[in-house]
Amino acid sequence: MADQHIASAFDRDLEAVQAQIMKMGGMVEDAIRLASQSLETRDAELAVQVRAGDKAIDALEELINERAARIIALRAPTAIDLRLILSVIKISASLERIGDYAKNMAKRNTVLAQLPEVKDSTGAIRRMCKTVESMLKDALDCYVQRDVDLAMDVIARDEDVDQMYNALFREFLTFMMEDPRNITSCMHLHFIAKNVERMGDLVTSIAEQVVYLVTGTQPDEDRPKADDTSTKLKG
Amino acid sequence: MKDNVISETDVTTDKIKIAARDVQVYYGDNHAIKDVSVDIQDKTVTAFIGPSGCGKSTFLRCINRMNDTIDICRVQGDILIDGEDIYDSKVDPVQLRAKVGMVFQKPNPFPKSIYDNVAYGPRIHGLARNKAELDDIVERALKRGAIWNEVKDRLHAPGTGLSGGQQQRLCIARAVATEPEVLLMDEPCSALDPIATAQVEELIDELRQSYAVVIVTHSMQQAARVSQKTAFFHLGHLVEYGETDKIFTAPEDPRTESYITGRIG
Repeated sequence: MADQHIASAFDRDLEAVQAQIMKMGGMVEDAIRLASQSLETRDAELAVQVRAGDKAIDALEELINERAARIIALRAPTAIDLRLILSVIKISASLERIGDYAKNMAKRNTVLAQLPEVKDSTGAIRRMCKTVESMLKDALDCYVQRDVDLAMDVIARDEDVDQMYNALFREFLTFMMEDPRNITSCMHLHFIAKNVERMGDLVTSIAEQVVYLVTGTQPDEDRPKADDTSTKLKG
Repeated sequence: MKDNVISETDVTTDKIKIAARDVQVYYGDNHAIKDVSVDIQDKTVTAFIGPSGCGKSTFLRCINRMNDTIDICRVQGDILIDGEDIYDSKVDPVQLRAKVGMVFQKPNPFPKSIYDNVAYGPRIHGLARNKAELDDIVERALKRGAIWNEVKDRLHAPGTGLSGGQQQRLCIARAVATEPEVLLMDEPCSALDPIATAQVEELIDELRQSYAVVIVTHSMQQAARVSQKTAFFHLGHLVEYGETDKIFTAPEDPRTESYITGRIG
């Protein structure tokens, strides 16, 4: 909707809160990238940096929620404006959660850096992070551009992340069976992989918010889910 | 019963009370209502919204033939209440208006006592055989108007001495005293403070149990709060008509969206 509100301050408020979302999105993208980098390079210092950066993400989420509450109280938004405010609140919550997972990954990286390396397992996690990062970038882009097609594409790409996680799950089981000394590292790596898989789900929910924002209806629930580890007996 | 879902907006009946078909209204050369067809349900609050001059009040006034009082006004098309054409030559507009009550923007009590304000309609329509019956009707109407407790000790004081909010509820009591089937309200709260507005809105929700209520309002939030169905008028056209929830969360027509979100439409 290109039309301006009669109350121009309302437009400014809506633009400002969306700009905050984009800023928060950028910070979360960085957090994922740096966390996965610190995993691959076993860089404990970088991991500390990611953990410290999460505070700013949390503060921004709080700010966005305050702004959104203020808009609801003062403007009583309806229709597209209402959906926009709802999407802002939900997306900021998803971003905050993704930031937490990145922080948790960084924490585990600090531990992993002190343990012997487990073959080439970090490469696969790095690829998973890359996929989630690009999904997040597209989710934020489609939010700005109100692009439902791109949003649906992001939702579909979560299947890749799920499949990567499945493969890693089996791999870690194998490593642990091969040599029990790998168990500590593999447990940490597995939690990291699971958290990245969760990040993918949260990015998907952001894309779903875009669909709701534009069309007024939620996308179909029965999107393909490829994470089958919760129903598997063995890897 | 639906579990988990508690919605005040549930429409309890599908019965069509008022059916309008291809209604056109002209004021002289001015084509004020263009091709409006709509089905208004019984025991439902239907809100008409739209910018000033969009025709919503004009259309409301067609429903009890108030437009008959305007010389240059012509109404074409059919408006049926319970399947009967209200513009049929056999219909007496005065009888019609007993059946289709109306409440106006500004409270307009008669310069009479509270009692006589409410008793006026039942008297001229001969609804009471004796004083006791009339007393009953007045009491019932004042209770329906949610004002009985405030006026029961001064029924013979002038109606004009009440506060604005009380006067409006008195007018609602007066409108329901003739046992109407439809209640039309033209901006009933625009002259009231927020507390009186809340009381009238609460009352509207109660009245819905008994009548089909049609309300014209400029307050979008009021339409969203009190109605189950909303009709959006623009430049004499009925642009969109549907469930209030739907209209205020995801309207279909861009003009509706522009209007309810406060954009230039």
